[in-house]
Amino acid sequence: MRIIGDDRYLISAFAKRLGHCFLAMLLLISVLSLSACSRPRSRFETGVLRVNLGTEPPGLDWHTATDSTSFDVVSNLMVGLTQYTNKLTCAPSCAKSWEILDGGRRYVFHLRDDLRWTDGKPVTAYDFEYAWKRLLNPVTAAQYAFFLYDVVNAREYNTGKLKSADTLGIKAVDDHTFEVRLRKPAAYFIYLTAFCVSFPMRKDVVENWGDRWTEPEHFVTNGPFKLTKWQHEYKMELAANESYFDRVPQVKLIKMFMVPEASTAFALYENDELDFIDNRSFATPDVERYRNSPEYKNFPLLRANYLAFNVTKKPFTDVRIRKAVAMAIDRSIFPRILRRGERPATSWIPPALPGYSPDSGTKFDPAAARALLAEAGYPGGKGLPKAELLYPNRDDVRLTVEATQDQLKRNLGMEIELVNQEWKVYLATVRKDAPPMFRNSWGADFPDPETFMNLFTKDCGNNDTKWSDPRYDALIEAAQGELNAAKRADLYRQADVMLCREAVPIVPTFLATQNIMIKPWVTGIAINPLDLQFFKDVVVSDTEANQREIR
Amino acid sequence: MLALIIKRILLAIPVLLVVASLTFVLVRIVPGGPFDADKNLPPEIIANLNAKYHLDRPVPEQYLLYLGRLAQGDLGVSYKYVNRTVNDILADAFPVSLQLGTISLTLAVLVGVPLGAIAAVCRGRKEDVIAMFLSTLGISVPGFVIGATLIFVFAIKLRVLPVGLWESPWHVVLPAVTLAFSPAAYLARLTRASVLEIVEKDWVRTARSKGLSQWNTVLKHILRNSLIPVVTVLGPLTAIVITGSFVVEYIYAIPGMGRFFITAVMNRDYDLILGTTLVFAVLLIIANTFVDLAYQFLDPRMRIED
Amino acid sequence: MEIVEKAPMPVAAPLDQSVMARIKRIPTAYLALWIIGAICVVALLSFMGCSLCQYSFDQTSSDFLAGPSAEHWMGTDELGRDLFSRIVYGARLSIAIGLTTAAVAFIIGTLYGALSGYLGGKVDTLMMRGVDIAYSLPDLLVMILIGVLLGRGTVGILIALGLVSWMGTARLVRAQFLQLKNEEFIEAARAQGQSGWNIVFKHLLPNALGPIIVALTFTVPSAILSESTLSFIGLGLSPPACSWGTLASDGWRSLRAHPHLIFFPSLFIFITVLSFNFLGDGLRDALDPRTRLGKNSH
Repeated sequence: MRIIGDDRYLISAFAKRLGHCFLAMLLLISVLSLSACSRPRSRFETGVLRVNLGTEPPGLDWHTATDSTSFDVVSNLMVGLTQYTNKLTCAPSCAKSWEILDGGRRYVFHLRDDLRWTDGKPVTAYDFEYAWKRLLNPVTAAQYAFFLYDVVNAREYNTGKLKSADTLGIKAVDDHTFEVRLRKPAAYFIYLTAFCVSFPMRKDVVENWGDRWTEPEHFVTNGPFKLTKWQHEYKMELAANESYFDRVPQVKLIKMFMVPEASTAFALYENDELDFIDNRSFATPDVERYRNSPEYKNFPLLRANYLAFNVTKKPFTDVRIRKAVAMAIDRSIFPRILRRGERPATSWIPPALPGYSPDSGTKFDPAAARALLAEAGYPGGKGLPKAELLYPNRDDVRLTVEATQDQLKRNLGMEIELVNQEWKVYLATVRKDAPPMFRNSWGADFPDPETFMNLFTKDCGNNDTKWSDPRYDALIEAAQGELNAAKRADLYRQADVMLCREAVPIVPTFLATQNIMIKPWVTGIAINPLDLQFFKDVVVSDTEANQREIR
Repeated sequence: MLALIIKRILLAIPVLLVVASLTFVLVRIVPGGPFDADKNLPPEIIANLNAKYHLDRPVPEQYLLYLGRLAQGDLGVSYKYVNRTVNDILADAFPVSLQLGTISLTLAVLVGVPLGAIAAVCRGRKEDVIAMFLSTLGISVPGFVIGATLIFVFAIKLRVLPVGLWESPWHVVLPAVTLAFSPAAYLARLTRASVLEIVEKDWVRTARSKGLSQWNTVLKHILRNSLIPVVTVLGPLTAIVITGSFVVEYIYAIPGMGRFFITAVMNRDYDLILGTTLVFAVLLIIANTFVDLAYQFLDPRMRIED
Repeated sequence: MEIVEKAPMPVAAPLDQSVMARIKRIPTAYLALWIIGAICVVALLSFMGCSLCQYSFDQTSSDFLAGPSAEHWMGTDELGRDLFSRIVYGARLSIAIGLTTAAVAFIIGTLYGALSGYLGGKVDTLMMRGVDIAYSLPDLLVMILIGVLLGRGTVGILIALGLVSWMGTARLVRAQFLQLKNEEFIEAARAQGQSGWNIVFKHLLPNALGPIIVALTFTVPSAILSESTLSFIGLGLSPPACSWGTLASDGWRSLRAHPHLIFFPSLFIFITVLSFNFLGDGLRDALDPRTRLGKNSH
């Protein structure tokens, strides 16, 4: 259409009118923005801590919860028989003392008598007995019930082979005495009493409110904080519990937001809308920009990443090829590409746990690796079938497997095909029929080598490598029951050598780290390598010492 | 008109039934189950879980159970958010998405349609080219980049608007603008194209040749007729935008329901997948019924059903 | 209103020299055609194995995350790979996806919508309920399922994206048809005893092209970007292969620290989509029966 002379005037008038509407809207928006600008802002509120949970906790019932987000909240609402110190030893908590009897087969806990629930009722041994039995009850369908399988008859009851809970090795002797019998000695058992799954629970509350007992209006807890508000998928508010038996926290209110996107959470921190952030709120590039800030800290976590083989699939049926792969990967690449202070690892037991030795694994040695590969019949990688490496799709995981692929190609001439799958499909595939190689990670449940080493025993449901060795299983079995710490560490070390140097069903790659930033007006945040965060000792105020840094 | 509405309501029932059934089948044939997790569980515990949620029954029985509950308006329970029903979850999340979506959609229409009309009447001139650049930007730049850029400029550098969260009316501005970008771009291009189509029609030429006296009425006709494609895309667009956007809710930490379209599938949270799908289907059916009604209003010659 | 006064019925010009000649007269469309052509040629050449860049797309170096320089025009990524080479490499999949998805959306959407709109009545009502159902099914589940059924690879991606993108076009075509079939020139064609086929493809479709072309040009970028979602759920490419979609979705978090990682992939998507828009506009004019008419009558 060509615009004819007469129309042009009308059309441009029309356009102008539309244009005016447009301008008016822009003006409105800018006026609104300017008025927003003039709002006074304070950088923080004394006694209020604002943190980011990342996602909605799937549930606060600590019997059905399985994820770290739920446990982060529960750890601040509840206390168990024992409690972790900052050095990850178990200190008395609800239990003021305990005895280990019958060569490690019987534990007797003596409870304090000043314990109170948030509704004022006393915490008794019967609350523990009820909680443990509920955890093991098949009807509860608790995913983490297996943590108590060392208790007499626990497995049988949970799996329905035993109908009655009466024969379980769990008993409240009186209000203040709680007794547990184990089917075999388990040196790590005491750690489980600090873990969320073993916390006490109130029978009347749970039975009265059913599935809704964890909503703030019904929830009854015994820890330093109590849940006062829960806007699902958005925010939780925890207030200091004035009836807490230990020191009542100084921080009056914790606001836990659920900001899923790390770069948004980080921007919130930069704009003083969060006071403390951790990995969940760090996109990698942010770590780089703030590495030298006094607010930034970085420390190791007990979370190990590894590359696993399905030892029943060619070419990794040959231990020499598995070993060649282990020796051909230069682990120092991982911290350089991930840029969050990761620590390269060659042994499965991480430093800081008993049994760790830097020599348990293999060293980076491409020449020796090539020699091994040649010995196995594939000089320079010639003739090797292209092996699949399966990984779950996440940015950081993708980078690590791409780097691995690149190294194996360069150092061994080995071609790897990367296959990514969405998380649930990945889990299903690895479990059903794991491909020749896959990438996995494991986070410690308690600070003991057992949590790592048990993974590759024959009966462990998480051992997807198809590798097993009775000698390894025997070593782990012996270590579980060994009460002498030095002997126990040595047993685990032997098993570690077997895993990382001799049989090589897995190639440990690196240990994850926790990156945090804390605003100068916040002190007392306790964080440990298990990635549990305790806020009971936090202080939020502009003390004189802090003042200098704030301005 | 009333007849059309009644017919559509009656038709909605089989449509929803088909959607529910197909989705039910889809979720069950896709690999991965709701209880596959980081830590592999003993088979006995998986059995306990499956029994709790009736997932141990044969699939046809599960299907009938599901339809039975659905008939009573019960969308089921979430496996991931252990103690919450799907009805609860959606009752919390949908109003948020609805608010944000309505504002966004209004913004998109208010910006997109005039922009397209201006581009059409100024065809080939600088206004047209500017409109073209803006709308190409709106559709070719991914939502997360738009969001991140807006946050960077308005929240971090200028500090005039909040970064994210859902606290005050100020918190709506950036997400609403982000969400409006691509619909506005689409509406602008579509309005431009259809205005051009209509303007070239013979009756418009004829009317125009008759002189200025009729021009105003013709202008009304042009707008009315050219709105048909715009209204057409507004149907599904409304359903999509008011049920929330994963990207926008994710970036701005907004507790809406858009995220469930992705996360429920990722978690294989069967009932939640079905719930969100059905809510979307209901809204889509309503929106499309309105679209068909709007056709008859815009162009009375269009007959939708004999 | 008068009956159509022009005697010869407007007929869509076949895509022959005259269309080309007309596009040539619209400078923006002509330029756009050249840009798209150039991108396609580059994609094709790199697909056939010609090395167009100094580096290979998967060649790592210790030069991590370098900004643009003479050495690396568009900088390097986290593994020290040259971004320009990766963008050139990524063009093949992104262009293929953009074009085929638009083609699938055009073919299925137009046929379905044309049938529904032309026939109208009960058939229309039923067919549109079918669209409602297809629209409502969760895309992600459908795509995961296709991934499982077809395995990985380009074919799966193309089918998955095609299957979830035709509904909008169908509704648009149907609406245009419902409206246009009441126009005088259609009634005139009917009165002349022309077949339904003729009426649909020679009269209705050419007159409805404007909005359809817009819908198609919008399918291109949304398909290019959705492809990265497919990679995310494991249906897409296996690294180190890449596409513009995956480059953009991997790079956006670096917006502040390493903007080149997101800027350049986005720029290429933008230029491509802009070209498609200009070309689409030109094509509409070139194919539009009335413009030809206008030219004759001037």
